[in-house]
Amino acid sequence: MSWIKARPYVMIFPAILVFTLFFLYPIGYMIFLSFHDWNFVSPVKEFVGFSNFTSLMEDAKFLQVLRNTFMYSGLTVFLTISISLLLALWLNKKGAMYGMVQGAIFSPHIISLVSISMLWMWIMDTDYGLLNWFLGLFGITNIPWLTDPKTSLLSLIIVAVWKGIGYYTLIFIAGLQSIPRDIYEAAALDDTNRIRTFFKLTLPMLSPTLFFLTIIGLIGSFQVFETISIMTKGGPINSTNTIVYYIYENGFRFFKIGYASTAGVILLLIIGIFTVFYFKLLGRKVHYQ
Amino acid sequence: MKNVSRFAWLLVVLLVLTACGNDEDKASKENKVSADSGRTEITYWYAFGDKIGENNENLVKMFNDSQDEILVKAEFQGGYGDLHSKTQAAFAAKNAPEVTLNEIASMGVFARSGMTQDLTPFIEKDNDINLDDFNPGLMGNSYVDGNIYGLPYLRSTPILYMNVSMLKDAGLDPKGPKDWKEFEEYARALTKEGTSVGMSMPVSIWYFEAFVGASGGDMLAAEDKEVAFNGQAGVEALEYWKRLSQEGILKIPAGDEASAQAAQDFANGRSAMIFGSTANLTNNLAIAEENGFELNTAFMPSNKVNGVPTGGANLVMTAGLSPEKQKAAWEFIKWMTAKEQTIYASKYTGYLPSRLSAVESEDMQSLYKEIPQYKVAVDQLQYGKARPMAEAYPEISTILADEITRSLLERDLSPKEALDQAAKLANPLLQ
Repeated sequence: MSWIKARPYVMIFPAILVFTLFFLYPIGYMIFLSFHDWNFVSPVKEFVGFSNFTSLMEDAKFLQVLRNTFMYSGLTVFLTISISLLLALWLNKKGAMYGMVQGAIFSPHIISLVSISMLWMWIMDTDYGLLNWFLGLFGITNIPWLTDPKTSLLSLIIVAVWKGIGYYTLIFIAGLQSIPRDIYEAAALDDTNRIRTFFKLTLPMLSPTLFFLTIIGLIGSFQVFETISIMTKGGPINSTNTIVYYIYENGFRFFKIGYASTAGVILLLIIGIFTVFYFKLLGRKVHYQ
Repeated sequence: MKNVSRFAWLLVVLLVLTACGNDEDKASKENKVSADSGRTEITYWYAFGDKIGENNENLVKMFNDSQDEILVKAEFQGGYGDLHSKTQAAFAAKNAPEVTLNEIASMGVFARSGMTQDLTPFIEKDNDINLDDFNPGLMGNSYVDGNIYGLPYLRSTPILYMNVSMLKDAGLDPKGPKDWKEFEEYARALTKEGTSVGMSMPVSIWYFEAFVGASGGDMLAAEDKEVAFNGQAGVEALEYWKRLSQEGILKIPAGDEASAQAAQDFANGRSAMIFGSTANLTNNLAIAEENGFELNTAFMPSNKVNGVPTGGANLVMTAGLSPEKQKAAWEFIKWMTAKEQTIYASKYTGYLPSRLSAVESEDMQSLYKEIPQYKVAVDQLQYGKARPMAEAYPEISTILADEITRSLLERDLSPKEALDQAAKLANPLLQ
């Protein structure tokens, strides 16, 4: 083969190598393992067919884990987007104060999630925490944020929203600024009120940003791990256990790699569906100029 | 164009070269008798920081200074859970430490999956080691399927810690409660609405084992084929917890930080008693002094009988080492579990002296005279039981802890129902 013909392959080789080694191979291996019973070290990997999948589907704990994950992702993304959209509308102005507020709400985004988890654990402590002390000033009795199965998932959502709004707001502001001024001028000439302007103009023009953030947010929150591992370990009573933590727990605590891989395949499918959805819909339902 | 192609080839050559280089490097590392010192290097992983971590680092340094054949590198790996998962991952990556710790309930998983080395041949060949000197109450978890896989190192039992100053204020005998009935009376007398509770205790399977043991029951049935915790003894134990917790004299902090929370309650005088590992004794004595109260220790309260689980970790060797590394690892394990070292560790942390000769030594006896709190755990050891070692026990513990918590939180869920539910989920794992 001549060099001219071989050249593109040589050029792309490093990228393909990395991609194969760190993406394709692990995914393939995970799918392979999901049909086996293995404890990570034994030389024997026993082939069990689809039995991992069937027992996973009958596992009440896994179904709760799925429910938790959907609940967590849905609420986190919905709340983060709503709050940051409002913030973006407010902050999309020039002035030192707006810049400062924007900087302040962005800062959680650059702090390591582990530090954030430790910090919030202290803030949300039932007896000695800052949050309950503050609520106490208004006569609200101690809320067991992280230690009651009724509030624990919500507490993790609060942390995720707190961490996420800064970044989302920034993207929204960029989106708002890319909307041409002249449409607003036209609307103003027609005497359109602000609410109508928002729903008929701003929101459709912002839809690519909105869509991007929803998908990215969903994919991201489906993979939540650090806050759970540090703040609750999936408890109390399994109330904050989500897919990735469940995979970790089964693989590395209970030595059930096959079972964990099966849950991994399910996660791959869910995220795959979101991604396909994203690319299919992109440019069709979403308004671009 | 030519330049580009030359560059590309150069890259390929470089890649291949570095790959080869790495292989060689690795190979030489594996049979390492490190050239500069001539000492065999081994790595040792341990769990926990504070006093316990210092104790590990100090002992390893003493070992390295005591001879010039073997060089041990000690590495901290977090709690038992982290230590176990890291060891497992490192073993799969063929990069495991030569010597590590197994929390005693995990001895079975590691041995049966082939991660740890059967030590029986080493013990048989070695005349220096006398197995009969190890406290028999601690040996139960050393044997897996008839072979020895680990030697008792930092071992404990749960004991009752009491704030004597609060006990005296309430007019109670500072010796502490003996059985469940007295324990309940103590807890009631020590509870002052809004300021303090009798006892703060996280839902811990280790303590549950103690309560089941005190009622004369077991966690798993013989041969580990079925759970037994939903029998009479288990139900009695959980009913007792539930009753005390609903009366408000037993506080049950929940969540990941529950143990830390309980410890904090005790340190602040918000709770007059806690259960804890004897390993925390030195720390707790320091805390008591800092906060200006007097501390005493007592046996875990008995119900029908005395019976406590033992705890802590055994030293184990990983499987698949070269003979030379095995020899070094064995020497290290032998040294770490010898009489002098167990005395050192016990005095430094509060862990049990694992050897009978150590308990009788002048060193320990004078310590017991001076600070009698150290003696409680040693005396209690005569009632010590091994922890279950079934492979699924870590998962079963999680299931059981969830159901126990549920029963404590939900007024209508009876202890029997909760334990039966846990048994229903756990039994298939033992098949």
